Amino acid sequence: MSATGKVARLPLARRRATRSSRPRDFDRPRFLRVVIGLFLVWTFAPIAIVILFSFNSSRSLQNFDGFSTQWYDEFLASPQLRESLYASLGIAVATMVLATILGTLLAYGLVRARNRITPVTNVIMLVPLVVPEIVAGVTALLLFTQIGIDLSVTTITIAHVTFSISFVTIIVRGRLVALNREVEEAALDLGATRTETLRLVVLPELWPAILAAALIVFALSFDDFVLSFFTTGESPQPLPVRIYSSIRFGVTPTINAIGTLMLIVSVTAIALALALPRLLGRRGGTVLIGKDAV
Amino acid sequence: MNDKEIERWIAARMSRRDVLRAGGGLALGAAMAGCGLGNSTPDESATTREIEPEIDGDLVYFNWAQYLNPKLIKQFQRKYGVEVRESNFDSMPGMMAKLRSSNRYDLIFPSAEFANRLVSANFLLRIPRAKLAAIDDVYSFFDDPWYDPGSEHTVPYSLYLTGLGYRSDRVGAMSGSWRDLTNPEADGRSYILDDFQEGIGMANLVNGHDLNASEPEQLEQAKDYLIGLKPDLRGFSSDTITNMASGNAWIQHLWNGDIINARYRVDDPDTLRFQQNREGVPVGSDVFAIPANAEHPGTALLFIDFILERSAENATWTGYPMPTRSSERPYAELVADEPELQVTVEDLEAGQQFADLEGQAREDWDRVWTEVKAA
Amino acid sequence: MSERRFAGLMLLPGAAWLVLLFVVPLGITLAISFGVTDELGNALYAWKPENYSRIFDPLFAPVLLRSVGYAAATVVLCVLIGYPVAYYIARFGGRYKYLLVALVVLPFLVNYLIRIYAWTAILSDEGLVNGVLADAGFTDDGVRFLNTPWAVVGGLVYGYMAFMILPIYAALDRMDPTLVEAGKDLYGTRWQTFRHVTWPATFQGVLAGSVLVFLPTVGDFVSAQLLGGPDTYMVGNLIQQQFFDASNYPFGAALTTVLMGFLLVFMLFYLRSAGRAAEEARL
Repeated sequence: MSATGKVARLPLARRRATRSSRPRDFDRPRFLRVVIGLFLVWTFAPIAIVILFSFNSSRSLQNFDGFSTQWYDEFLASPQLRESLYASLGIAVATMVLATILGTLLAYGLVRARNRITPVTNVIMLVPLVVPEIVAGVTALLLFTQIGIDLSVTTITIAHVTFSISFVTIIVRGRLVALNREVEEAALDLGATRTETLRLVVLPELWPAILAAALIVFALSFDDFVLSFFTTGESPQPLPVRIYSSIRFGVTPTINAIGTLMLIVSVTAIALALALPRLLGRRGGTVLIGKDAV
Repeated sequence: MNDKEIERWIAARMSRRDVLRAGGGLALGAAMAGCGLGNSTPDESATTREIEPEIDGDLVYFNWAQYLNPKLIKQFQRKYGVEVRESNFDSMPGMMAKLRSSNRYDLIFPSAEFANRLVSANFLLRIPRAKLAAIDDVYSFFDDPWYDPGSEHTVPYSLYLTGLGYRSDRVGAMSGSWRDLTNPEADGRSYILDDFQEGIGMANLVNGHDLNASEPEQLEQAKDYLIGLKPDLRGFSSDTITNMASGNAWIQHLWNGDIINARYRVDDPDTLRFQQNREGVPVGSDVFAIPANAEHPGTALLFIDFILERSAENATWTGYPMPTRSSERPYAELVADEPELQVTVEDLEAGQQFADLEGQAREDWDRVWTEVKAA
Repeated sequence: MSERRFAGLMLLPGAAWLVLLFVVPLGITLAISFGVTDELGNALYAWKPENYSRIFDPLFAPVLLRSVGYAAATVVLCVLIGYPVAYYIARFGGRYKYLLVALVVLPFLVNYLIRIYAWTAILSDEGLVNGVLADAGFTDDGVRFLNTPWAVVGGLVYGYMAFMILPIYAALDRMDPTLVEAGKDLYGTRWQTFRHVTWPATFQGVLAGSVLVFLPTVGDFVSAQLLGGPDTYMVGNLIQQQFFDASNYPFGAALTTVLMGFLLVFMLFYLRSAGRAAEEARL
């Protein structure tokens, strides 16, 4: 069976007109609508509760007693929590920059270099993607403790970068492979060096993918718990680790405020990751002949 | 490049030869590890820094949760214009794990037997007792405790004992025994402490042995007893105050003070009760200690003094008696109706305390506990 | 400079980072897994293969089996719930397709811990659900949702569902809808069409989703810790305990190595089968 539709493709509207009965109820969409409705309720209920109770005027986690921003005030008033927020943001930014650079270069190398170390490197690049976070955490922790490096935001950043490079490489590679080489070759013929070609021809083409990858890495790093939990020092600790301690040692409703704020950051990052490439990619540049990827 | 092509690309690339080559990197890592630096134990000189009770930065404070009156922390911050950065642990091994991964704390609160271990490992700073204004308030019993000869590295913080907390409105038939943990009236809502010492220690007491029994057959008995408990337990948890206050726990293995603390958080405090158990009552004490690698030992010293001066206010909040004369009466009044909650220095001298296990015994206790949790 | 050399140079920084900070630590983990601990709990290099034989001791085997079991149950539930959702969006989403996908994915952008914690609040003995049940007169004492294996699996399903929905959605989206119409003609009933047309066409997507859910779930410890009871100990909890509680790094490293090995073998099987399927598709 071929998935690439060798069957004649009639426009959808005409097809429906020529079929007599049951165009829609083939798979009982009404039943599916109920399913998806329940599904959305189930996935959103806890989120809604977190957001709702972040504005609760009492400590109760069962009854909503009135609107108040006290938990946000408490969050912003706590130097430790503020520090954690800055730490999380800082780690995410640093991870984003480093992982994107290393990952993009790696993608370029993997696609364009045809030598003996490429296959090995490819394997090494893929493994972090399938490693469960706890394994990642353990190996990172052992690296730092056995070599004698104190745990700190630096160690967290290093660990985050290590496990983010692969994401960038996969995303950028997908786009790189689909590029039309003619423009590059033309540039080289005209006397540009490889570096200039890379900078002036290839990178602008790759830009949407690179940006998307960067923002995804940011969101992943900001939200990361397990890896941070294993590699964190004493102070400051990233927000998710603080949330964990809070859950373990006595919850205050401030946790709902933290959760809501983190949600806003992550959603913004992902939304940008999806929207920006689309917006920027339309700004022309060279003409792409060939399959459009990503 | 669609998914299928990527998959084919991957499968084609991932030949055995390549995986073997990647394994070469692993071998390199193992070799490097072999000649890498390990962690060495510090020698005695690390513990003899001169410190003064004066502010030298923010306090990095590491303690059980809800084990010190937060009002006092706020007062300290306001009085001296510094911050107290709090971190919590929920078990002694958990505290040790954090200490070992080179996190630097200024003030920690180990239990006596763990303090003993830290002292022998040259991990704690010498505390100049003479420079603490409030030190004379502390019972002289602690001038030369078994766990810290000469009391050079620690200042006592609290006294505690272990028993069972329960909700009298839910469970009626408590018989004063450790076996009440599986009281059928509790409907499975019982917890034991997530603490290897308390867990195995309790099992030892129930089996009629010494609290610190470590013979292989005795530990096997302890393990079997604990595993046998599991079907009736709701969980292993040291979050005792929350469990009792939220109603998740109808019976909870806990330390005496937590009942008092939990009572402050519920509408009906009289329903939270405590019992000591006839098979045996573990008693112990916790101490203030300053790690040798503390960055702000002066602030820590000042903090110790500050809390000692306000020991009554602290003890009545935490529910645990502090080893000071000034806190004796206020605490006694607090527990006047419930003698089972009270623990004094005499109890400490007479009772069974956890020992700092050495060598094989320590390993065996650790191993048994892991097996109990996993089974 | 030839392209090959240039690209080779570009490759180096990333490759070097990964080798030094990913491959080497794996080696260190392997080395420590044969080690011992000292008085203070520091890990020392030694030769103690008993760390490994202990793992297959009858006491610990249930933990491993349980982890695999929970992960498998999670995968099955994710398929059962996720497939219809993805199907609806791909086939009937129409204009709102992307919006629906966004809605489905949105909750997964919230921190995993917070989501699990929210469930503990909702499902606790005196939480919302039990409150509703009590008001409706169904129960006096409250139903015990938390601290059970079902709560743990539920938490895992909740946490990783998006990883199942997206690949299935992608596969469904790419499938030619006329195939379904043709199938209807050929097979007559909805069920037959699904079985013979839709399912095989999207199977690779289901498989990809299953792998994406299975791998992280086996090693998860958060769900079991916050939602589980004493009998829901997973290998992730066991490993975490060795590093943060019991101070037995070597045993923890051994467990990690075994887990890693098991998953790599699993992955190899998957890739071989995916590669083969891709080959077949081309023919």
